[in-house]
Amino acid sequence: MIKAENISKNYRIGVLGSRTVQEDIRNWWNRKFFLENDPAFQFHQPLKNQIRALKNINFDITHGEVMGFIGRNGAGKSTLLKIISKITLPTTGKIFGKGRTASLLEVGTGFHGDLTGRENIFLNGHIMGMRKKEIERKFDEIVNFSGVERFIDTPVKRYSSGMYVRLAFAVAAHLEPEILIIDEVLAVGDAEFQQKCINKIREVSSQKGKTILFVSHNMQAIRNLCHRAIELKQGEIANMGDPETVIAHYLKTEKKEYLQQNFNDKESAPGNRFIRIKKVELIPQYLNDQLRIDVRTPLRINFEFWNNAEDSGELKVGVHLFNLNGDCIFDINSPKSIFKKGLIEAHCEIPGNFLNDGSYYISILFTRNTTEKIFYFESCLSFDVEDYRETGGWYEKWIGSVRPDFPVVLRRIKD
Amino acid sequence: MEKNSDWEWEIKPEQGWFNLNLNELFLYKDLLLRFVRRNIIASYQQTILGPFWVFIQPLLTTFVYFLIFRKIANLSTDGIPPFLFYMPGSIIWTYFSDSLIATMNTFVYNSNIFSKVYFPRLIAPLSDVLFHTFRSSIQLILFLLIYSFFLISNHNIMPSWVALLLPLLMLLTACFAFGAGLIISVFTAKYRDLDNILQFIVRLFMFATPIVYPISIVPEKYKILFWLNPLTSVIETFRSAFFGHHPIHVQYLLLSVFTVVTILFAGLILFHKYEIKAMDVI
Repeated sequence: MIKAENISKNYRIGVLGSRTVQEDIRNWWNRKFFLENDPAFQFHQPLKNQIRALKNINFDITHGEVMGFIGRNGAGKSTLLKIISKITLPTTGKIFGKGRTASLLEVGTGFHGDLTGRENIFLNGHIMGMRKKEIERKFDEIVNFSGVERFIDTPVKRYSSGMYVRLAFAVAAHLEPEILIIDEVLAVGDAEFQQKCINKIREVSSQKGKTILFVSHNMQAIRNLCHRAIELKQGEIANMGDPETVIAHYLKTEKKEYLQQNFNDKESAPGNRFIRIKKVELIPQYLNDQLRIDVRTPLRINFEFWNNAEDSGELKVGVHLFNLNGDCIFDINSPKSIFKKGLIEAHCEIPGNFLNDGSYYISILFTRNTTEKIFYFESCLSFDVEDYRETGGWYEKWIGSVRPDFPVVLRRIKD
Repeated sequence: MEKNSDWEWEIKPEQGWFNLNLNELFLYKDLLLRFVRRNIIASYQQTILGPFWVFIQPLLTTFVYFLIFRKIANLSTDGIPPFLFYMPGSIIWTYFSDSLIATMNTFVYNSNIFSKVYFPRLIAPLSDVLFHTFRSSIQLILFLLIYSFFLISNHNIMPSWVALLLPLLMLLTACFAFGAGLIISVFTAKYRDLDNILQFIVRLFMFATPIVYPISIVPEKYKILFWLNPLTSVIETFRSAFFGHHPIHVQYLLLSVFTVVTILFAGLILFHKYEIKAMDVI
């Protein structure tokens, strides 16, 4: 178990070089011969030269608990793990722990290209803290897990990157510390490898009751493996608790989602002499107590616009859905109608169990008399659709631009 | 709440000065040996001459010294056959210089693994020194073989009991290089430009040590300065060991031991204090 108390970490940034020798001597002189509140005291470390990577971090992790750490890049997750791994010291605070620690901050730490796979298993194993007898005992298991038996006596510089990563992880997977620290190692490697990693982590945490600290950007993994999660934001703990809640909060505030735009001033609203947009809105029709849009969630799109010109003719409105690549998923249209001048309300609905997971944006096209495009309101709404699987296991990405729930029926017809 | 006695370990902002944690080093002895092994394999994998370089390098250096300092500059070798005079000097100097440079640059060379995994940082430079000890031992054996050859065919040479001190001399050289290297390493981590200056100073230092000349040719009033250098005792004692008539200076040897022990302790303490902080500035 681990307890962190008031941990903070400052880094000094800026140019290091011969100037700092002077700076250091000056600081040392000042510290030795002046008191801090002496007006002559000049301690040249202005705060603007410092990055406060972590501020006031406090948490407790109990024995056998898996704690997930999420946050944007630069939030301080890796720094925190480095402190717990004794790679760097905190500026303030203390961390107390019980049990042997091992850190997986990188796959293949210490691997040397000229050495064979066999040699590197020992080298890497020792670096991570395993004893010689331990490695010997597990050697065959490690080689099997990695799948590189045939090449075990070839220098590692000849391995493909996939083999390299598999071997490295195989060693790491057989560590037996009481506390395991894992930093986004899963970002490396193909889907099959990632699956293996997750399975191994789950096995370690459930069977042997190890304490695990897990940093990842893979929300599905965090959701499935962790008992609790912490969101780090700009060096501070923004949220701590049940993974589902923490993830939802993180995604809602961090991802750029435009679910609504309002324009109250007719003159300055987007549009032209024909059309002025008053409001566009995407309302997810959440089921039960869902907190995010996922593949099951029906989506209702409402918008309001001013129809201005006398001669709008036959007005038709099209809603276009695009994925992040810019591929158009669909183009749905209202019937053609003639409207008098005024405020017009429109809505449509995308059913649940239709869209695949991913990021999307919506553009709205106004057409007159079938062919004449009068206004195209592009990228006015954007949203993300999360994955959802029945069983909660981790699978590869479900392919397809859409993911409709059309049943495929099988029936035996003959012996 | 949990009492402090519930916890097994603690991480805090400052490392103490004196809790060197030497038993932790022992726990990592497997890693130490692996590093040495890795260095050995890597060293011959990347050279043209492979493992033979360990023999060729001292022979080549000795030959060059012979050519330049004996034949051309005509420096005295104190009555010792020139080849046998230059070879130990070259071996000891290479041992010292390689160990010193590897140790003082340990944060720079190992910044990759130091930033990713924890192990007692001392293991890294220690493995380099052990590696060089291994190589120099091989070179010394080569020297002993050549010496035996000369011994059989030349009656002017005679080893003395001082030859038994050979392991001590090696240890002294290693500890001097290691201790000084540790002290310097803390600075090279922070001030990168020191590296060039230091390598230059180390090269000059070779001429301040009686490697290619005997102490006897140094004017009396400067001799004491030379004796302050622990390596002077090492190399002169070495010569006393194998060339019996060569004078032995026990008092200077003891002085050297004292100097080296001080430097070693200073190095260990300083290194321990700053080993983790060094990674923040590398």
